[in-house]
Amino acid sequence: MEHHLLHICLQSLKDNNNPPSLQALASLRSLIINPNTSDSTIYSILETLTHSLQLSTNSLTTHHHILKLLTDLASQRTHLSSQILNSIHSSSLLFTESTQIAAESLTSLASFSNSDQNKIDDQLFMSLCFAATSASARLRLLRNGERLGIGTHMLFTVFLGFTKDPYPYVRKASLDGLLGLCKSCDLFEDISVTEGCYCRAVELLQDNEHSVRSAAIRVVCEWGQMLIAAKEGNDKIAQSNQVFVQICSMVRDMSVEVRVEAFNALGKIKLVSEDILLQTISKKVLAILKDKNSHGQCTAERFEILASSYAGAFMHGLEDEFHEVRKSACNSLRIHTILYAEFARRSLSLLMDMLNDDSMAVRLEALEALHHMATFDCLNVQEIHMHMFLGSLLDSCDLIRSTARKIFKLVKLPDLKLFRLSIHGLLQNLERYSKDEADVFSVLFFMGRSHGNFAAHIVKEVSQEIEPVLEGQLGLDSARVAAFLVLAISAPLSQNQNGQIIPPRLFSYAVTLLGRISCALSEVVDQDTLLAYLSQCSRSSTLGAEVEVESLLPVVDDVVLNRTKKDVNNPVEAPMLQTGNETSKVQPVTSCELEYLATSIVECQADELDEVMKSVNLILARVRDAWLLVQSRCTNVALRALRDCKRELAMLTSTSLESSGAMAFTLQYLQVMKLFAKIWEHAVWKIRSNETGGLEYLFGKLDMRLRELRYRYIGFSTEEELYVLELIAVACILRLSKVEISCSPTTMKKLSAIISHIEILNDKGSIEPSNILMDAKKTVHEIESSKAGISCSLFLITNLDDFFTLKQFSLCSRVRHINAELNVPGNDSENPLRFVSGLPVAIPLDITLYNVSSENRLWLTMRMSEESTQFVFLDLNILGGCNEVKKFTFMAPFYRTPKACSFSLWISIGMECALEDCHILKHCGGPRRDLVYLFQEKEVHLCLVRRG
Amino acid sequence: MAIECLVLGAGQEVGKSCVVVTINGKRIMFDCGMHMGYDDHRRYPDFSLISKSRDFDHSLDCVIITHFHLDHVGALPYFTEVCGYNGPIYMTYPTKALAPLMLEDFRKVLVDRRGEEEQFTSLHISQCMQKVIAIDLKQTLQVDDELQIRAYYAGHVLGAAMFYAKVGETAMVYTGDYNMTPDRHLGAAQIDRLELDLLITESTYATTIRDSKYAREREFLKAVHECVAGGGKVLIPTFALGRAQELCILLDDYWERMNLKVPIYFSAGLTIQANMYYKILISWTSQKIKETYATRNAFDFKHVHNFDRSLINAPGPCVLFATPGMISGGFSLEVFKQWAPCEMNLITLPGYCVAGTVGHKLMSGKPTKIVLDKDTQIDVRCQIHQLSFSPHTDSKGIMDLARFLSPKNVILVHGEKPKMVSLKERIQSELRIPCYLPANCDTVHIPSTTYVKAHASNAFIRSCLNPNFRFLKRSKEENSDQVLRNTNSTAPLQVNDERVAEGILIMEKGKKARVVHQDDLLLMLRQKKHDIQFGYCCAAQLDNLEETGDRDGALSHSDKCSCLQLLFKELSNYFSGVNIQDLGEHLQVESFQVSVCLKDNCPYRIIDSPRKEAATIFFCCSWSAADEKLAREIISAIERFNLSDNLPCKNSK
Repeated sequence: MEHHLLHICLQSLKDNNNPPSLQALASLRSLIINPNTSDSTIYSILETLTHSLQLSTNSLTTHHHILKLLTDLASQRTHLSSQILNSIHSSSLLFTESTQIAAESLTSLASFSNSDQNKIDDQLFMSLCFAATSASARLRLLRNGERLGIGTHMLFTVFLGFTKDPYPYVRKASLDGLLGLCKSCDLFEDISVTEGCYCRAVELLQDNEHSVRSAAIRVVCEWGQMLIAAKEGNDKIAQSNQVFVQICSMVRDMSVEVRVEAFNALGKIKLVSEDILLQTISKKVLAILKDKNSHGQCTAERFEILASSYAGAFMHGLEDEFHEVRKSACNSLRIHTILYAEFARRSLSLLMDMLNDDSMAVRLEALEALHHMATFDCLNVQEIHMHMFLGSLLDSCDLIRSTARKIFKLVKLPDLKLFRLSIHGLLQNLERYSKDEADVFSVLFFMGRSHGNFAAHIVKEVSQEIEPVLEGQLGLDSARVAAFLVLAISAPLSQNQNGQIIPPRLFSYAVTLLGRISCALSEVVDQDTLLAYLSQCSRSSTLGAEVEVESLLPVVDDVVLNRTKKDVNNPVEAPMLQTGNETSKVQPVTSCELEYLATSIVECQADELDEVMKSVNLILARVRDAWLLVQSRCTNVALRALRDCKRELAMLTSTSLESSGAMAFTLQYLQVMKLFAKIWEHAVWKIRSNETGGLEYLFGKLDMRLRELRYRYIGFSTEEELYVLELIAVACILRLSKVEISCSPTTMKKLSAIISHIEILNDKGSIEPSNILMDAKKTVHEIESSKAGISCSLFLITNLDDFFTLKQFSLCSRVRHINAELNVPGNDSENPLRFVSGLPVAIPLDITLYNVSSENRLWLTMRMSEESTQFVFLDLNILGGCNEVKKFTFMAPFYRTPKACSFSLWISIGMECALEDCHILKHCGGPRRDLVYLFQEKEVHLCLVRRG
Repeated sequence: MAIECLVLGAGQEVGKSCVVVTINGKRIMFDCGMHMGYDDHRRYPDFSLISKSRDFDHSLDCVIITHFHLDHVGALPYFTEVCGYNGPIYMTYPTKALAPLMLEDFRKVLVDRRGEEEQFTSLHISQCMQKVIAIDLKQTLQVDDELQIRAYYAGHVLGAAMFYAKVGETAMVYTGDYNMTPDRHLGAAQIDRLELDLLITESTYATTIRDSKYAREREFLKAVHECVAGGGKVLIPTFALGRAQELCILLDDYWERMNLKVPIYFSAGLTIQANMYYKILISWTSQKIKETYATRNAFDFKHVHNFDRSLINAPGPCVLFATPGMISGGFSLEVFKQWAPCEMNLITLPGYCVAGTVGHKLMSGKPTKIVLDKDTQIDVRCQIHQLSFSPHTDSKGIMDLARFLSPKNVILVHGEKPKMVSLKERIQSELRIPCYLPANCDTVHIPSTTYVKAHASNAFIRSCLNPNFRFLKRSKEENSDQVLRNTNSTAPLQVNDERVAEGILIMEKGKKARVVHQDDLLLMLRQKKHDIQFGYCCAAQLDNLEETGDRDGALSHSDKCSCLQLLFKELSNYFSGVNIQDLGEHLQVESFQVSVCLKDNCPYRIIDSPRKEAATIFFCCSWSAADEKLAREIISAIERFNLSDNLPCKNSK
């Protein structure tokens, strides 16, 4: 059948005088797309098609069909693609008179190969573009420009030129092309080129075709940002303002698509002057701004014209008929609200009004914006807002309610009246939707803690309601009473709770609801701690127990705040995606970016390293907060917080070696803290005291990490080095304090070595030694002097607490990371290296070393099994000195090849820890000290040379 | 050709909208409204101005009605049936459906209540409506060979449209009443970017800039919610069409979200009937209603029930919509009498109430007692909430529309004169568009674009098909570094496509105009291409030359060269950034050439006799027009040079 079909087709195609019939081509296509067609048939098809492609008699349509068939063929049989590529290349099609055909051939080329394969000549491309009389040919060429591997400068010229094309689709394609080019912006060092492109796009904002207008907005936004990036200081903000105002002029467009695009773009511009923002939320030209401008550059009249062009831009967006536009406007507004207090205050009213929107997606977006404001502490709720705000607590949609409650957790209310209204709203929510109970309780707890005074007031007012009626029947099954109890127990934890006394019996009532409450508060405290706290409070007749209370449950606001800050992205954004057709196209902004943004107004000139350092230090500050959680026995919460930190760290991007050093250090530090947190749980809280093995494992891991922290980074300041050393000391103390683990002399020795090292550093930098070290030193001396197996539990762990709480560690010097990369070129399990059993084998290694100096002693370790490891010393002096980055190829000899068909080697590079004690050598010629490994082991596959 | 615009009504006033526009000989009457404030002849537009002979069929090509409000359609039956116009009348489908209802209602009020003599009968209305041709949104309708009209969505009320009319290449838009911000049930006005010679727009709110409607909605909802939560009854007197539906959608939505169970009632009568029209004409409502229509018709209110008179005094809270809007009588007054004395209740008032109605009394201050007639007094203890929703666009909306359409001229109608004057000034200063505010019976003449058809030569068409762009670089200085640049700021890098510029328009007497390519022209005229060269022979001073050179001034060849080299050196120093080439016989900068002139009377020389006391050397310069500026700079530099300073070394030998 197949052959028969082929035969007929080929006959028809080979008839040079007549163009091939459509039927024949259709049958060929069926053969091509059938995966079962034999290779030989495919080859002959390919041959014929290639042949007929060369014929000059073919009409335009025939060419079109043949090209289509070839493209199909290439996509079906990928191994043939290069051959097809060549045949199209070699065919004279690209040089024919008809640009239509040439353009089509190019398109087919672009469709099945990547850009480096089919690099066509820039000149050819250019001439085709200019010769293309039909708009569709131009369109094809422009759309595929990037895939055809045309030089960026050439593309830029062509795209820019074709923005003048009379056909709107060509104009749009060239704008899209320009948008794509902006990613390779480093090519345009000349700012006037960027400016020229930007201005051209600005001109096209007035285009008659809406698709061109919306493409122009994208270009204005992206290229505008490039312009902004190129400016410094005040110019930067001026430029930023200019781009912003330019886009604002488009928000009154008649096309929905254009409006949505405009608002998306508005959200991308980060630094905008406050007066401009204020004007965008007022349709009237603001009088204050006129005054401000009086000493400015424009005449009053001109200024008014200008201001009226962007007046009320956001208002219009929020009032728009289409929910897509409203949603996008909400989202952009959110980006800008946190920068200026006055703007935040005014836009708050607008956002509150959006809670009355008829589209759920818009309401959610508005709540999201409010939450964002609350996170950044610029949500100042007024009484006028309360009706709408509380209304969202009663919304029939679950998602709206839960998002609204999330805001209430963070909100700071100015007076008792608003607090009472909010509590009332929450109770109504509880009344109407009883399934929300846990979350409502949690919100009440948070609110009570941040407004202790108000909460105490409320509790006093309703104490009648809580008290059991005469028969001793407690109305405790009522959710309302339970809610008040939650409020009551949260009040003492507040910092601004001064003198208002919560009757102790309320705490004992709360004990009866322990399960219900602890379930709601599981995020904050666990049941045992809560019980301990409640019983403590219920016993004390006065609030003299306040101090104890705090030591029992020192949940610090900041920790919670930080945690919720990180939630900005995830929990709300995720359900947003489920809303189906109303999903947002707007990218969520990560919290890191926002934090940067909040400070960037002041330091818009700061260089990249400083930015990374800043973010890193923000993360480091959070580590300390997380430690407070560890102390309050919320280890799991703390671990989660640390994990969040890690995730956030991963979001930072580094471009320079220095910043990547800081980031690597922070990551390592986070890992160390995680281990500490886990060990703390074992060693201090003694929660799982029977798992000594696990503990030992953790200690081992901690040791290794700490060692890496100490040796793999260079360029520490004295404080930083001290801190690292103290961490090691703390680890030793923890280890010694654990009775189950024998008080090993090695650890003692290590501790005393560290202590003496710290002392030297202290003397050098004239820094007061910390308490913990003084104690440790004393104890070490005692033990050493007694020379007996004294229990090391003499160490007081209480001081350890202070160590982490008091010390705020931040990174300020430019830390560099000693790192290495190792590659075995061309080796994997499929392509092993060959060896002859018993004879040495050379393993070629591509090694890259970062920041390694000649003092570092590096060893190549080659491990075949646990027991047999072979060391090779890497003599950096022989290998040619040291640079910041050093790349070389090294042939590593491996001697003890086993008698086996194949085996694997695990190769790594280790660095001797210079300050560690010498060990007794296990292997001759091996390293004398402990090694820290510079990267994960790499597997090398070897296979016996086959005979014959 | 020109547009002639005769304003018969709504010129510098609100009421009886009627504008007759003549475009390239075609006459269109936009709207045919009546003035509600007058009972005499001023009620109707003065139709006699259209045609002295009252032969309207021949003097008008068509009548276009924008929407069903009486000040836009009220005079139509009178015009067709009494004045005898029989030509085509265009309006949108909803307007065609609702206009007779409004007209009939008005007629009844006139005849039944006021006992006036009727201007037209029910028969007139129905006969008039038979002449109406309905038009759909964005449907282009060819009235005759030349006149084209198209309707665009205007918001405002159900079925309101803006109309685009085009005769030949002259085009205009008449907006009627429109709203640029959407409300709960109607969308915002929507129009394409058109090339317009004239825009005639309403200007009801010529100076007002309205704040967000959300604040008003929020206050309304809060007032209503608090009232019903306290067990009170809410009376919402409204007009049947428009506001009632909007408020009802707002409430129904809020009820749904807040899960409220309090009943909402609609009083029977026109409101129910109007709701039916809304349900049918879904495509004329807002986006939201159109979107949800597939699942649920938004006008099938979930929480709304029909009201029964017996419910007036039923216990418990409720919300009631009742007509008429100004509590001038009817059911809303009846309910008002019952509910006003109770503090718990709430009455909401529409934005505008005619003087003399109860609504107006309530609005002006908070009366405790209202005297209806000498027997009836009502104690007013209830709360009063004033609504200020308006379906007209504000001044910002008018500006935005004008900015978007960028017509060549704007005429303002349907507004109050002082406010219109200030809007006119803004349009002229901010948008730089000429603007007019004709009074009633004034005529405005506007020149329109004239188009001439021309043949295009093949070469020209071919050159037009090929892209031919080039980049122009502006010098930096021209760029102002203002903080906020105007939108049309000059770009440093400009893209020019000069395809059309390469064409040449030829108009010969008695022949059709032609556009040809540059190259064609030379062929046609059998001429060669000429380049214009400028020439100038400038003098430079040469003091010390007499020591060696001939006294009579004739320079030898070597002197000539050395002079040129000296000049080269000087110029290179002076214009350090410019590429100056020394080509032996002459120096060249771009197209500028300079050589030593040896002729005694060079035609390019202006000073013909050299001053004897100082030796002067002449340089002949030539350049093409493109380098004019550069050439002038170089020449003025040469004339300033004193070449002698650098000469001595050679001459001292």
